[in-house]
Amino acid sequence: MKQFKLGDIALLVISLAIVISSFNSYGDFTGKPEVRVRAGNQEWVYDLSVDTFATFYGPVGETTMEIQDGKVHVHDSDCRNKVCIAAGWVSKPGDWIICLPNDVFILVEGTMASQEGGVDDTAF
Amino acid sequence: MIRHSKSDRYARIEFVALLAAFALFLSTVEYLIPKPVPFMRIGLANLPLIIGLGILKDREYIMLALLKVLGQGLVTGTIFSYIIVFSLGGTIASALVMYVLYRFGKRWISLVGVSIGGAMASNGVQLLLSQLILFGDAARLIAPPFLIVGLITSIILGIFAQQFVQTSTWYRMELEKCS
Repeated sequence: MKQFKLGDIALLVISLAIVISSFNSYGDFTGKPEVRVRAGNQEWVYDLSVDTFATFYGPVGETTMEIQDGKVHVHDSDCRNKVCIAAGWVSKPGDWIICLPNDVFILVEGTMASQEGGVDDTAF
Repeated sequence: MIRHSKSDRYARIEFVALLAAFALFLSTVEYLIPKPVPFMRIGLANLPLIIGLGILKDREYIMLALLKVLGQGLVTGTIFSYIIVFSLGGTIASALVMYVLYRFGKRWISLVGVSIGGAMASNGVQLLLSQLILFGDAARLIAPPFLIVGLITSIILGIFAQQFVQTSTWYRMELEKCS
C-alpha cells in the first residue's frame, strides 16, 4: 500500500523489538532447572535436582515447600483455602504455584534434559 | 470566511462533540467484545483521536481525549473505580505520543505509524501502572500478549484511519470548514 511511509516501518520495527524483548519476562528457560521462590519482597533460588524442605514466612503464617526427585510442591501452608497445596507437584519450566493469601510465588525455570523435544507449552 | 465568529466557534465545539460521541459509541462496541483479560484493549475508541489529529486545535484535542476517558468510564461503569486511572493514563500517554508524532513527523509518518506509536504508549503506561498498583513484578507476565494485541489492532485501526482521511468527503469538508 502506498500510504505506508518510512517512519511507519521504523515505528513498526521498534514496536516489534519491544514486543519480542517483552518475552524475556518469562524468565531464562535455558539454564539448568531452578526453582525461584518469592515471598514478600525476598527471593530465593533452589536447585530442582537437590531434595530440600524450605519454609517461607508471609502475612498469614508459614508456607513450606518441598523439592523431591526433580519436582516441587507446597507441603504445608497456613493459608485458608490450601489452593497451593492442591496444585500438587510441578516440575516443568514455566510451571508455577502461588499462594496468594501468604504471598508466596514458586516458579520453575530452566530446561530439563528429559523435556527437550517435547511440546513447549509456554510459547505463544 | 470569518475565523472567530460565533457560529464558527460553535461549529468547532460541535465537531469535538461529534468525535466524542463517536468515541462513546466505539467504547460501547469495544465493551461488547469478549476479552481474556479485562485490561486488554482493542483501542477502537482511539479512532476519533486519530481522525481528529488533522483538524482539531491543541485545546480541542485535549478536550476530546478527556471526553473519551469519560465516555469509556461511563460505558464500562468504572468511572469511580481505580480502573479509570488506567484509562486516563493510557489515553493521555497515547494522545500525547500521537500528537507529537503527527505534528513533528507528518512527513515521514502516516496515520498507521501514529496509531502504532499511540498504542505502544498507551499499553506501556498501563503496564507500568499495573506494575505499580496491581500485580507488582508479575505484571511482566501479561506484557507480551498485551503488547501484541495492541500492536496488531493499532495497525488495523491506523490503516482504516488513513484510508478514511484520504477518501472521506465529510472529512475534507470539515477540514475546509475548520482551517
